[in-house]
Amino acid sequence: MAKSMLIISRQAPWAGPAAREALDIALAGGAFELPLAMLFLDDGVFQLSSEQRPQAVQQKNLSANLQALPMFGVEQLYVSASSLNQRGLRADALALAAKALDDREIAELVSHHDQVITL
Amino acid sequence: MSTTLHLLSHSPFGDTRQDSCLRIAGPEDAVLLSGEAVYALLSAGEPWRRLQSSGLPVYALEEDVLARGLEAGPGVTMVDYPAFVRLTLTYDKVNSWL
Amino acid sequence: MKFALAIFAPAHAPSSRRALRFAEAVLAEGHEIVRLFFYRDGVYSVSGSVISPQDELDIPLQWRALIERHGLDAVVCIAAALRRGVLNAEEAQRYQRAGVSVSAPLELSGLGQLHEAAQLADRLVSFGGD
Repeated sequence: MAKSMLIISRQAPWAGPAAREALDIALAGGAFELPLAMLFLDDGVFQLSSEQRPQAVQQKNLSANLQALPMFGVEQLYVSASSLNQRGLRADALALAAKALDDREIAELVSHHDQVITL
Repeated sequence: MSTTLHLLSHSPFGDTRQDSCLRIAGPEDAVLLSGEAVYALLSAGEPWRRLQSSGLPVYALEEDVLARGLEAGPGVTMVDYPAFVRLTLTYDKVNSWL
Repeated sequence: MKFALAIFAPAHAPSSRRALRFAEAVLAEGHEIVRLFFYRDGVYSVSGSVISPQDELDIPLQWRALIERHGLDAVVCIAAALRRGVLNAEEAQRYQRAGVSVSAPLELSGLGQLHEAAQLADRLVSFGGD
């Protein structure tokens, strides 16, 4: 049985290539049909805010890659409720359908996966 | 319940990784401080207080503690590289807070 | 036990040296390293174009020596490498660039190799962030 991997993405979208490169790990795993989940934590939640215009800093839009996650079979998408709250973001106003988890649920999520990478 | 060894390597002063780690860590997890994260061992500091309150076992990479002239107080286990390897096998997985 | 190591930091970063020392300890303890995967700035950790000052550790040299001494499977993520100008002869030729920074036994390949290593290994340990 395939080992499951949780990818925790903590970086803000335009803070360098980290956010994109975390997504690439998820998409690559999805392409191989591996059991994967992705959690957006800390500034990583900013990747999910709507109304972003990355063209203003001459960057490619991440939202195409984010929308591709379910298409690549990565459907388990989560976001930290406390990270959202700290930043005044609402779980129901995100650019991607991610389930908001509290800290205890996140601990369980980590516990349920065989491997974890936090980027 | 599957357990995780959390590997920290950033200074807890002015960085949120240790705080986030302690918030989402499970009750059977442990923390290994390496690199700049060993500054959390400063006993008068807030990060040390938070580590102690977490109730999690705290390990520290010995070379990093020595390099910075720090001391590991009671309740901290110093590890060398062979012990670091063994520690990664004691817990079910390793989560490095990059 | 089987280990997969992912290195995300460049040669001059403390975490690259820590990863190297950890890798040595894994082997000394009698375990196996199924793959070393260099991603993001980690591609710089094995770049032959890095010139270390004489009174400092030559980390890329030490990584390459470890890989050669133990016949380790070492993969450099091709997308991360291209973006950072860490090229092998084939890619330098393809893109008509002057510098070759990486060669056999290191291979340029995709993220699928990281996932394969994660599937094969008992432990996946990542180093980087600095």
